[in-house]
Amino acid sequence: MNIDPFLAWVESTALSQWVVGSPSMFAFPGILTLHAIGMGFAVGVSAAIDLRILGVAPNVPLRELRRFVPILWAGFWLNAVSGVLLLIGYPTKALTNPVFYLKLTLIAVAMVLLVRISRQVFATGSGASLNPLDQPISSRLRNLAIASLICWSGAITAGRLLAYTYHRLTQSH
Amino acid sequence: MHDFQIWLVTTIGGRSVIADVMRTAWAWPLAESLHFLGLCLLIGGVGSFDLRLLGVGRRIPIAAMHRFIPWGLLGFAINIATGTLFILTEPDQYIYNPSFHFKLLFMTIGGLNAATFYLTSYRRIFGPDAPLDAPRRAKVIAAISLCAWIGVITGGRLLTFYRPSACEGPQTSLLLTCAP
Repeated sequence: MNIDPFLAWVESTALSQWVVGSPSMFAFPGILTLHAIGMGFAVGVSAAIDLRILGVAPNVPLRELRRFVPILWAGFWLNAVSGVLLLIGYPTKALTNPVFYLKLTLIAVAMVLLVRISRQVFATGSGASLNPLDQPISSRLRNLAIASLICWSGAITAGRLLAYTYHRLTQSH
Repeated sequence: MHDFQIWLVTTIGGRSVIADVMRTAWAWPLAESLHFLGLCLLIGGVGSFDLRLLGVGRRIPIAAMHRFIPWGLLGFAINIATGTLFILTEPDQYIYNPSFHFKLLFMTIGGLNAATFYLTSYRRIFGPDAPLDAPRRAKVIAAISLCAWIGVITGGRLLTFYRPSACEGPQTSLLLTCAP
């Protein structure tokens, strides 16, 4: 399937040309910056939950970390939106690079892992207890946390490599 | 300050074994990836603690949450190390870059702010009758911390858009923002 006509159409839209061509710092540079900030909060909070499962900060009641999950989702959605804008700016650069699909897959797996971790530690039981000892951590949960950390590290590395591994920048290049 | 910047750039020079290694195909992207991972650890450790001070997860004892801080410091240490690699390789791209100047400014604010926290609020928050709700002063410090680190990320991310060009004519700004 040849997607070049579709990519050319995306690049011809006013939005794409604004993202790429506008001299405003709120265009491409600002979107990139939001993408990095969103990453910090999404991955940072997710990693903190994973580390708690793996034994860091043992006196933090694991269940109470659910209060931080909305921050994680805010970072995720900030990055979904800023990521789509970057994709509209440079569709050929991303969609013709296998590393981009690897990055998206790793993020998808990391989010599935988050949902599964959340179900195990945040949704069970009724009423929050401040006693951390009533939360036995199964080896299955530990494995999910380790997989989550690996997926995020991979997604970040893949994302950074996008700047070095693309074959074509735009349709006209 | 101009002379100091020029001295720094010429002294570092970008000529070292480290700079040679950094110019190989994979070293720079790898160091960048580590720099982004460190960023996430920093926000995950320090940012989460700041959010707790501001009232997120207010049933978590603050002292318990503070155990995440060493992981934030680990992220910071990773970023100081990888950041140093970048500067040793391309000193002029950072020393003369206004975005880097702002990044350093926000890092300084973040550092002084953290020092203020430990000097003024630490004992009250971690003492025997520590409250679950942080005192107002600690909340202000937490908000400043979050803003400072977001500022550091912004300064870092915008570096490529403020690459210094060659100087034209006499420079009057406090810091040199072009390559002489």
